[in-house]
Amino acid sequence: MANLNLRSKKERTYQAIVIGSGISGAWAAKEFCDLGVKTLMLERGRNVEHIKDYPTTNKLPYEFEHRGQVPEDIKNENPVISKCYAFREDAMHFFVKDKEHPYVQEKPFDWIRGYQVGGKSLLWARQVQRWSDFDFEGPARDGFAVDWPIRYKDLEKWYSHVEKFAGVSGNRDGLATLPDGEFLPGYELNVVEKYFAEQLKKNYGGERHMISARCAHINGNLDFFAQQGRAQCQNRNLCQRGCPFGGYFSSNSSTIPWALKTGNLTLRPDAVVHSIIYDEEKGKATGVRIIDRLTKEMEEFFADVIFVNAAALNTNAILLNSTSNRFPNGLGNDNGLLGKYVAFHNYRARVSGEYEGFDEYTTAGGRPTSGYFPRFRNVYKQETDFLRGYAAGFSAGRGARANTEGVGLELKNNLLNPDQYGPWYVGSHMMGETIPKESNYVALDPNLKDEWGMPQLKISVDYDDNDEKMVKDYIEQMTEMFTKAGFTNIRSSDSKQAPGLDIHEMGGVRMGKDPKTSLLNANHQLHAVPNVYVTDGASMTSTSTQNPSLTYMAFAARAAHHAVAESKK
Amino acid sequence: MNRRHALRHIALISGGLALIPSCDFSSDDILTAYEKLKVTTSEKELLGIISDTIIPSGEIRGALEIAVPDFILVMVNDCMEESTQARFMNGLRAFPSFAGKNFSKLSTKEREEKVLEGLHLEGENAPEDQKLNDVNFFLSTTKRLTIQGYMASEYIQTEVIPYSLIPGAYQGKVLIADIQKPRING
Repeated sequence: MANLNLRSKKERTYQAIVIGSGISGAWAAKEFCDLGVKTLMLERGRNVEHIKDYPTTNKLPYEFEHRGQVPEDIKNENPVISKCYAFREDAMHFFVKDKEHPYVQEKPFDWIRGYQVGGKSLLWARQVQRWSDFDFEGPARDGFAVDWPIRYKDLEKWYSHVEKFAGVSGNRDGLATLPDGEFLPGYELNVVEKYFAEQLKKNYGGERHMISARCAHINGNLDFFAQQGRAQCQNRNLCQRGCPFGGYFSSNSSTIPWALKTGNLTLRPDAVVHSIIYDEEKGKATGVRIIDRLTKEMEEFFADVIFVNAAALNTNAILLNSTSNRFPNGLGNDNGLLGKYVAFHNYRARVSGEYEGFDEYTTAGGRPTSGYFPRFRNVYKQETDFLRGYAAGFSAGRGARANTEGVGLELKNNLLNPDQYGPWYVGSHMMGETIPKESNYVALDPNLKDEWGMPQLKISVDYDDNDEKMVKDYIEQMTEMFTKAGFTNIRSSDSKQAPGLDIHEMGGVRMGKDPKTSLLNANHQLHAVPNVYVTDGASMTSTSTQNPSLTYMAFAARAAHHAVAESKK
Repeated sequence: MNRRHALRHIALISGGLALIPSCDFSSDDILTAYEKLKVTTSEKELLGIISDTIIPSGEIRGALEIAVPDFILVMVNDCMEESTQARFMNGLRAFPSFAGKNFSKLSTKEREEKVLEGLHLEGENAPEDQKLNDVNFFLSTTKRLTIQGYMASEYIQTEVIPYSLIPGAYQGKVLIADIQKPRING
């Protein structure tokens, strides 16, 4: 392979390098740039500039040849990514195609990836609930994984910091399990959702709650967000195309343009990271080796501090591939635990039903969020035969449908005048905590390589008995809650979907207090290489039951400030 | 734009008349824009008459006038598995033996009755004859795609029921009686 470091080393030297431009990497870069740190952000995929590179964002339904459906040939070529709910004709171009980036499924794992500037922040579901100490204290209380080296108080001000800038809409619900934050006005629950929330309070002694989910959408404080070039969310629900208003938070609409404006950021797309360079004499990491995605040439960049934010599993892959005499098994991997204790969220089960009440009402307009159940199982004490619990999404809805019986003029007139209202639909899905285990791991395949000569990642992650019990309990409990609320025609399903499709894979480079049992310390530094930080999903010690992105953002901001403070010592 | 897309583009602006000489010695030319279906000009004409029976023209244009048959063929060609495509095409080809060769010359009412009869050949009414089953499958698929292609067409979404990318702020409790719209008659 050509190794053309044509430019002088000085030209390729920065104060900080951030690997990855997704939700956590771009947050680290933004904080560095605001603090005056000359930062290089490496991204393996192509550049995606806000608005300019959203080709489908203003398309009308009839402008899609297949009206949104993915053609059969593409599905057949891409069996994994085709399972993702957002892989549709309008957003296919933001997802990794199976063939281009192969990996090894030692056990079935649907690895959903977005290789471009902004990563999956363009595509995420935008749910942003804070963790509480019920989550951080979980492993210590229940005796799994290792104790988190941080608590809510360590992260609280950083949650506030990122919420204010990203824009989070929500209500102050006053729940101990789901701390309130810096909220813009929240979105309304509809009449049936409100009814259900009241029923829950009544039927479960005030211990179960269903709230309007906090979401990363702008719904107020418009002058502040105008400084980022972002505007009020228009309720389009076309977020996965990229938003021309910047109505939801993404790296592309917010942190990256902000960081570029400081003049301190160099963005280098098409940079497939090969490894982190470790200098044995200095005893620290000194830079990053990349392979240009297009030319396949290798180049090296240097910096005092390196942040690895390549998305959970790829962060593992980069560290595993960063070998040296000092670290023959991967950077910082003295205990052999790198790549192990991977976990995810269990999304297998759904419960749906109907409600005959409020028959004279419907809804109008759009909103970017829905209802959310914070975890209610095993919160204050262990009370079931499984560990931890689940959060759940909930929504109710109703709309006019057309009578599609018959053919001819009558059918045509009916289609043009939809006026049939069935009962309200109610539906819920689970998001269960899974327990990190040594046997759930990722590793580099010793033989198979990708187009860039990088070892393919081998993934071996599965459900366990705890997950099965939790699926059963979710279905039982949700069915009971629906029944008590007077919902009818209640149905439940277990998709048995493989891990990965939740797109909440976490761990492998976990935080902990003890270098013998963890890879990262309380500040997200590799115990053995303190100028390398990991602040994405790879750093998660446990998974809890919140959508994780907000926590990654807070991690990245907190760790960037820590790195700058360290450099001044 | 690749060759197939170019052909389809021509097909869409010329009403499907993108033909290439075919080595098939049977009846008429194969429309190459839908290469997986090997559909002929006359088969497409028949599909057009059926879709226009499902959604006829009137004050507001019908399915055939806004090229819904092209949409149907695109969807069957691109978005269905091979076995499903085969059932659709078998049903289309068996339709004349079910409805009579002079289907296109029947009155509107007679055509509607024939299509309804074919649509009812399911469930308890499912015939033993595989060909008739395929006719039913073809008709129900054609009806579904006619509705989809018609309602999600540029004509309907711009001129009849303008589609808004911005749906307005959410209202979680709206009286249905308050949002009733004036009736559109086709």
